[in-house]
Amino acid sequence: MAERYAISKVNVPEGAAVPELVKMKMEKEEKLAEEKKQALAAKQKAREEERAKLKERTVAYEKEYADTAAELVKLRREAKLNGNFFVEPEAKLIFVVRIAGIMKMSPKPRKVLQLLRLKQLHNGVFLKVNKPILNMLKLVQPYVTYGYPSLKTVRELIYKRGFGKVSKQRIPLSSNDIISDALGKHGIHGMEDIIHEIYTVGPNFKQVSNFLWPFKLSSPKGGFVNKRHGYCEARGGDWGNREELINELLGRMN
Amino acid sequence: MATARPVVSIYNFENPSEKTGTMPMPVVLQSPLRPDLVREVHRDMAKNKRQAYAVKPKAGYDTAAASWCTGRAVARIPRAPGGGTHRAGQAAFGNQARGGGMFNPTTVWRRWHRRVNVTKKRHAVACALAASALPPLVMARGHKINQVAELPLVVSDGIQSLTKTKQAKETLKKLGCGEELQKVIDSKSIRAGQGKARNRRYVKRLGPLVIYNEDNGITRAMRNIPGVECAHVDRLNLLRLAPGGSFGRFVIFTEGAFKKLSDIYGTLKSGAPKKKGYTLPRAAMVNADLSRIINSTEVQSVLRPKMERYTHGIKRNALKSKELMEELNPGSTERKAVQQKASQKGTPEFDAVQKKKKARIEESKKYNKEHKKGDETFYKTLMKAFEAKAAADAAKKAAEKADDEEDEE
Repeated sequence: MAERYAISKVNVPEGAAVPELVKMKMEKEEKLAEEKKQALAAKQKAREEERAKLKERTVAYEKEYADTAAELVKLRREAKLNGNFFVEPEAKLIFVVRIAGIMKMSPKPRKVLQLLRLKQLHNGVFLKVNKPILNMLKLVQPYVTYGYPSLKTVRELIYKRGFGKVSKQRIPLSSNDIISDALGKHGIHGMEDIIHEIYTVGPNFKQVSNFLWPFKLSSPKGGFVNKRHGYCEARGGDWGNREELINELLGRMN
Repeated sequence: MATARPVVSIYNFENPSEKTGTMPMPVVLQSPLRPDLVREVHRDMAKNKRQAYAVKPKAGYDTAAASWCTGRAVARIPRAPGGGTHRAGQAAFGNQARGGGMFNPTTVWRRWHRRVNVTKKRHAVACALAASALPPLVMARGHKINQVAELPLVVSDGIQSLTKTKQAKETLKKLGCGEELQKVIDSKSIRAGQGKARNRRYVKRLGPLVIYNEDNGITRAMRNIPGVECAHVDRLNLLRLAPGGSFGRFVIFTEGAFKKLSDIYGTLKSGAPKKKGYTLPRAAMVNADLSRIINSTEVQSVLRPKMERYTHGIKRNALKSKELMEELNPGSTERKAVQQKASQKGTPEFDAVQKKKKARIEESKKYNKEHKKGDETFYKTLMKAFEAKAAADAAKKAAEKADDEEDEE
């Protein structure tokens, strides 16, 4: 807190008689400036330590991502070799995008979309895959499209369009301090921590996902196929679960 | 003001350059200044001397006019009855009609007078008296007091026994009111507006107000001097102390009157002896110097220091800005550089990658040689299915050809 003291410069003309109040103010400002200097130095030191730790964690995360991917490849090959079927792991993370506007919305889907924080067209949120969430998505199927985002998609969304909720305001994630202040108590101190928590759906997924303001995406370059119909329909459509193919859409919307 | 009461000099009325004594200032003259209060009380008090005016009750309605109703090609306004005169058939009654009544006729039962709370009136007088003791306020009101020795101006009691106007005028001049009296004389002019035809032809500025205790001729002496007014200290009128609602009248006290002010108004603790149940007004703030209060150690010591505002600047995209990416993801530029190196020929990283690739291909070849032999190769298994189908097709064709030949025969 002391690093944010606003020190005002008091200009005293040379040789002039200094009024009592001005003198008092000058003394006060000097003391505060001293405190500020110390606080800034301490902050700098803490920052350097944090950054070093974050660097180590990031390297560990990258190894983790690579290892999990390699593991899956190994298992698929093993299954083929043995003539077995490899059951792909079910997705843990989904990214939901609101497709429908706000006009003429039935009350139940309207409420569910509000609860999912999808209050505007092309808003997107990360969600954990579990029974309650799946049931909620069932209710709003025709108004959203969703799927399983890849690591690249998650990274790009958070770096390009990541904003945090800081005292109810939408603040851009322009510095790791913002993240540290809000999520430090959950052990999340930087962008890469957020990405890891989201992508691997960690124990603090709820807090991190809630900290992230709903993503405001652009309309997709190249357009939708047909928002009136479902993605899986033969006649071509957009709403509902499009599994891995959400990444292609998000690449055009981000 | 919580300061000690200043001392006021009393001037000799015969020789105003010398002082006959001193007196502490009465507490009334240190009342808080409330221009809003004085203005409000003056506004209401001034309404009390009004005389009623109104139009006649029957004005415009002293005809037996009635509307001719429709069907006669005239407007429906009531018309005067009868014949034989221009007046017949003319419009009447409405405010739009010639000779008709006015809209919303003025009435004598309009509420002309206002009552003001007694305490309010007393507070206003105390306030006006206090203002008359302050030179800047008196000057602001327009009085010329540059030659006056002191405010409040207190003169010895002898002035109350003056009988001749000439003497009174001289005394006032010697007290320094010459410029003021001249100002009044110079300001006499004809009133603007209809008042000039209603026995209020001339207007002039107001001069000093002389407040006395015992009238031994002073009122008669001062009466004819333009601008000068007299008032008995027991009966002070706000309309004279703050003419037009603006306080700061130039007031000249006699010694007796000045002394009596303390007897009438008393102090904040004692209350006013001559005004039952009344105590002088108290200021809303005893110390009104805000900047001194705010900057005092008592206040500053419990405040938290002023903080810089949070500025978040324009949002930049880390995927495009290398510095921002390094800021958010420490070590990313380093790692990226290493990755780049791996695609440049000649670097050890490149060689390492190539080595791995080579090893992988070698492994694969070794495995295939070992496990995919004879009929187990990919091509053979693929062609097996094709060959089976090709053989079946050929057999079918041969069968058809045989049938055709049979048919031909």
